[in-house]
Amino acid sequence: MLQCIFILSDSGEVIVEKQMVGHRVDRAICGWFWDYVLANAAGDPSKILQVVVSPTHYLFQIYRNGVTFLACTQVEMPPLMAIEFLSRVADVLTDYLGDLNEDIIKDNFVIVYQILDEMMDNGFPLTTEPNILKELIAPPNIVNKMLNVVTGKSSTLGSKLPDAAASFVPWRTTVVKDASNEVYVNIVEELDACVNREGVLVKCEAYGEIQVNCSLPGVPELTMSFANPTIMNDFTFHPCVRFRPWESDQVLSFVPPDGQFKLMSYRVKKLKKTPIYVKPQLTSDSGNCRVSVMVGIRNDPGKPIDSITVQFQLPPLIVSADLTANYGTVDILADKTCLWTIGQIPKDKAPALSGNLRLEEGLAQLHTMPTFQVKFKIMGVALSGLQIDKLDVKNTPSAPYKGFRAQTQAGKYEVRS
Amino acid sequence: MAPTVPSAAKSASPSQPSGKSEVADLKQQLRQLAGSRAPDADDQRRDVFKRVISCMTAGIDVSAAFGEMVLCSATSDVVTKKMCYLYVGAHARAHPDLALLTINFLQRDCRDQDPTIRGLALRSLCSLRVPNLVEYLVTPLATGLKDPSAYVRMIAAVGAAKLYHISATACIDADLPASLKALMLSDPDAQVVANCLHALQEIWTLEAANSEAAAREIETLYSKPVVFYLLNKIKEFSEWAQCHVLELASKFLPSDNNEIFDIMNLLEDRLQHANGAVVLSTIKVFLHLTMSMTDVHQQVYERIKAPLLTLVGAGSPEQSYSVLCHLHLLVMRAPMLFSSDYKSFYCQFSDPSYVKKLKLEMLTAIANESNTYEIVTELCEYAGNVDVPIARESIRAVGKIALQQYDVNAIVDRLLQFLEMDKDYVTAETLVLVKDLLRKYPQWSHDCIAVVGNISSKNIQEPKGKAALIWMLGEYSQDMHDAPYVLESLVENWDEEHSPEVRLHLLTAVMKCFFKRPPETQKALGATLAAGLSDTHQDVHDRALFYYRLLQYDPAVAERVVNPPKQAVSVFADTQSSEMKDRIFDEFNSLSVVYQKPSYMFTDKEHRGPFEYSEDLTNLAVGAEAPENVISAQRYQENDNDLLLSTSDKEDNGTRASNGSSTSTYNAPSDLIGLSSQTPAETSLINTGGPTYSSQSNFSLDDLLGLGVTEAPAPPPPPALTLNSKPVLDPGTFQRKWGQLALALTQECSLSPQGAASLMNPQSLIRHMQSNHIQCIASGGHPPNYKFFFYAQKDGATAFFLVECIVNTASAKAQLKIKADDGTAAEAFSALFQSALSKFGLS
Repeated sequence: MLQCIFILSDSGEVIVEKQMVGHRVDRAICGWFWDYVLANAAGDPSKILQVVVSPTHYLFQIYRNGVTFLACTQVEMPPLMAIEFLSRVADVLTDYLGDLNEDIIKDNFVIVYQILDEMMDNGFPLTTEPNILKELIAPPNIVNKMLNVVTGKSSTLGSKLPDAAASFVPWRTTVVKDASNEVYVNIVEELDACVNREGVLVKCEAYGEIQVNCSLPGVPELTMSFANPTIMNDFTFHPCVRFRPWESDQVLSFVPPDGQFKLMSYRVKKLKKTPIYVKPQLTSDSGNCRVSVMVGIRNDPGKPIDSITVQFQLPPLIVSADLTANYGTVDILADKTCLWTIGQIPKDKAPALSGNLRLEEGLAQLHTMPTFQVKFKIMGVALSGLQIDKLDVKNTPSAPYKGFRAQTQAGKYEVRS
Repeated sequence: MAPTVPSAAKSASPSQPSGKSEVADLKQQLRQLAGSRAPDADDQRRDVFKRVISCMTAGIDVSAAFGEMVLCSATSDVVTKKMCYLYVGAHARAHPDLALLTINFLQRDCRDQDPTIRGLALRSLCSLRVPNLVEYLVTPLATGLKDPSAYVRMIAAVGAAKLYHISATACIDADLPASLKALMLSDPDAQVVANCLHALQEIWTLEAANSEAAAREIETLYSKPVVFYLLNKIKEFSEWAQCHVLELASKFLPSDNNEIFDIMNLLEDRLQHANGAVVLSTIKVFLHLTMSMTDVHQQVYERIKAPLLTLVGAGSPEQSYSVLCHLHLLVMRAPMLFSSDYKSFYCQFSDPSYVKKLKLEMLTAIANESNTYEIVTELCEYAGNVDVPIARESIRAVGKIALQQYDVNAIVDRLLQFLEMDKDYVTAETLVLVKDLLRKYPQWSHDCIAVVGNISSKNIQEPKGKAALIWMLGEYSQDMHDAPYVLESLVENWDEEHSPEVRLHLLTAVMKCFFKRPPETQKALGATLAAGLSDTHQDVHDRALFYYRLLQYDPAVAERVVNPPKQAVSVFADTQSSEMKDRIFDEFNSLSVVYQKPSYMFTDKEHRGPFEYSEDLTNLAVGAEAPENVISAQRYQENDNDLLLSTSDKEDNGTRASNGSSTSTYNAPSDLIGLSSQTPAETSLINTGGPTYSSQSNFSLDDLLGLGVTEAPAPPPPPALTLNSKPVLDPGTFQRKWGQLALALTQECSLSPQGAASLMNPQSLIRHMQSNHIQCIASGGHPPNYKFFFYAQKDGATAFFLVECIVNTASAKAQLKIKADDGTAAEAFSALFQSALSKFGLS
């Protein structure tokens, strides 16, 4: 049970305070928390643990765009529940306000209070479905537009209320108006890989999400099947997905919520191929370290590989670094990070970064080798190979427009040297 | 849209004068608006209210405007109403008299046509928390529970719990719990059902302290009909309510295996839920249900592995740490089952170091014959990591893996490579490990010594590394060519050596070296003893004196003491007791797991007060009322232990067997309940746990240890009444006797504060009492309340004493009910029992 939720700015100032139970939490706890952040992470809340124990309370915190969501409790509770809830609060607020930052929250704090009031009662999460919340609390732009309507006939706003709350598909309101009769499916994959010193692929996994943007009238019935469902090692579903059809035939059958949502996420283990290679070489002797990094296409995914960057932390004990590339730009950032922005790999040459690092006086060889973090993006392809076979929409007055997309990007893609 | 009041934003402290003038200004405006019927009055009111709330948020004390706010509260605008409710809720407590003014409009709103308004008003009414307004609360709540709108019913249900916190009697007198229960079992709306459940749990748990009836009601919540009713509806609940129901289900004790399988089938798809909290709660249910079925329990591990690993990798970074902590717990319990997933625990460069630390521990635990090579290769890459603590940690991990493997050939080479990296902390860590390795695998000494001999002691700064090197110099001085001279140069710098640990090792090493190579060491020995005797550190001085006297007495004896033939160490003691691990496991899906401590160790008792969901005593699987439960509880624990042995401890057993040294085993069995008759010595050996190594030598040290042990447990004082040290009474007979015998004595006594603090779970007290010849037949409970059934037998007689003992650790009090076959001895036994109890935690 959460006793209180604070929203803090990135200087530790309290933007919103919402007490959840009778036992008030003094806001001095925020001061304590901020001191802790300063002491342990130099004022960057994203660097500290999500669960912090203070002398009086257990604190859960998540950090989004300079805003810290801080929850306090004094009793034992599932930590993931608190963290999931705070993440949900952040998501709902982003959804409501279009974005999430200190100024937006300050400008709309009345909405924020109302939302928190509906999302949690007596310390336990209550309504967190954006669809239902939007019926209880009008989003800000509508409030502006229809101020008079709302104030004049507040009862019409309320009478809609029980619809979704009592509905058996709580994520969907029974009447969706203004539907443009379209459904878009987007497969988004992140490739995590680890290549060791010898250039061997130690680990390669893909995490995928199927995002659906649905604008269909009425209560549509959707079924989706994959050409190769067996490649997925594990999956989680949106509550709308029926479990049995998936169990028996690996078919996703669901009544979708209106708008954008994450239909499922999955994991594909033990991939064998990476689209590009990054070959770093560091050799050091007598106070100098020669660096050479080669990048090229290893397995052509059939679509252009975009936004390639290679980034690494310069090892400590380096006096100066002189690094150049035959393609793209090389920047040494303030925190001694070297960022090589390549973009697309050109047809005529292989991008290479080379140069020299001067070590500190008295140090002949380099002992700590940097890890190279690689980023890229490929539109139009899901690298795990997952393919949607078909998507059927039933229960709609006319055949809707169906759109499919896919993209893969590098997640934690690391090459050691 | 709402411009934040500039002065409010600036003044973070309530004491700033700008805040005061602001409030005065707001009061003024509110007063003007109060009676206004101007067409734009609503808009103006809304703006002023916004400013008030904004000041409140900025920490300015706006309570002075309470009266004015109430005057302005009559409005039809929902948003303004909500702001007003928020304000009133925050300040009513400080102004109980003025709060009365708000009752009127809130009560009116409770009868509004619009369910939103009704709901909001009811919520605000319950949030006032002013005791003298309770009378106005009961009627709207009772009506609210019968409201046609689910929204209102849902708020009313939570409201009932809030009312209970304000005034328990008002809530009970109005019979709200009964209405809640009826609603819970019949309402069509899932959220109403969930809120009723939540409210009932809160009310009855607190009420159970004073009333038997409430305690029974709690039991019905965990009964089969209720649990199955809720589980069958699980898909209708919101994800949070699902967590709640799953938590309830995890406490449900199924009567047979069919029920267990029914529940698991029902919940299987919850493992695929997008919300990590639901997944973890489901896992908890699965783990707890299958505790008694070893095979199924292992299958459960297999089944939950994938969802957990996905949560760790795919969830937000915030979630992944908490999930990782839970995964860590499971991996530590059953490392074998995760051995093929080792790649999931590889550290990513971008992982925060607290995550890396957990992953390293897991990698260490799951290493076995099949994956050791890959894991060690991976760990070696971390040794050159920029993050020094992690580099250290990974070297230690390599060492630990070496200690738990049979084939350490490759690992030893890797460790020796570390020494060539020529980085001070790497060298220091590695030396410590090489030392431990040699203690376990003396056969490797040849290879290691060759490399270690090349290391200059001057390059090692860290005391631990230095001490390890010195130990090796002493132990293997016959193989290391220049050992005496290295030691001699170290002795010369005695005064510069700041760490007493190093000086102690130096003393011993020189002694050992002396017996192996006397002519070369004699000079160094003299210097060492002289330096040691004049050392300021107590231990160093004493040890030097001891060696000196030994040598004076008889060098041959001294050699036997200092240089006995060593037996290889088979198992290094674990720091965290298995009892503790079990305890944390019981608290799966809670903060305990994140802290890696059971909750009693970090939860502050003072603050638990009204919020605590203390497990009620009637919840225990004990007592004369439920004989079959007593047995099932025992079986449960035994099975749990079997399971443990079949997984995590398997390896330890293997090692022990293979090394053939079967001296003391350290894996404290956690099921001492009414089982084995452990001798006090064994018991206390377990308690002493700590860093002592299990099978040190078959020599004098063992005797020393043995002496210490027999003294430790404070044998019972020689009372007039002596007890049979090994009485036998089966649960059935106990049951019957407890039913038949009349109560001989009832008494209240107190525990020592230390005792109360160390009563972390029933086992600790049970062991203590066992050492006093009082056996436990059943126990249970959660902090702060425990219940025990003990029995004892008069020595040389057949008469038994039976005791029911309820201990409250918060107050350090115990209630005793004693029944005896021989009523005349009851007094004496009671005295004996109390004296034993009072010594608990002191030994």
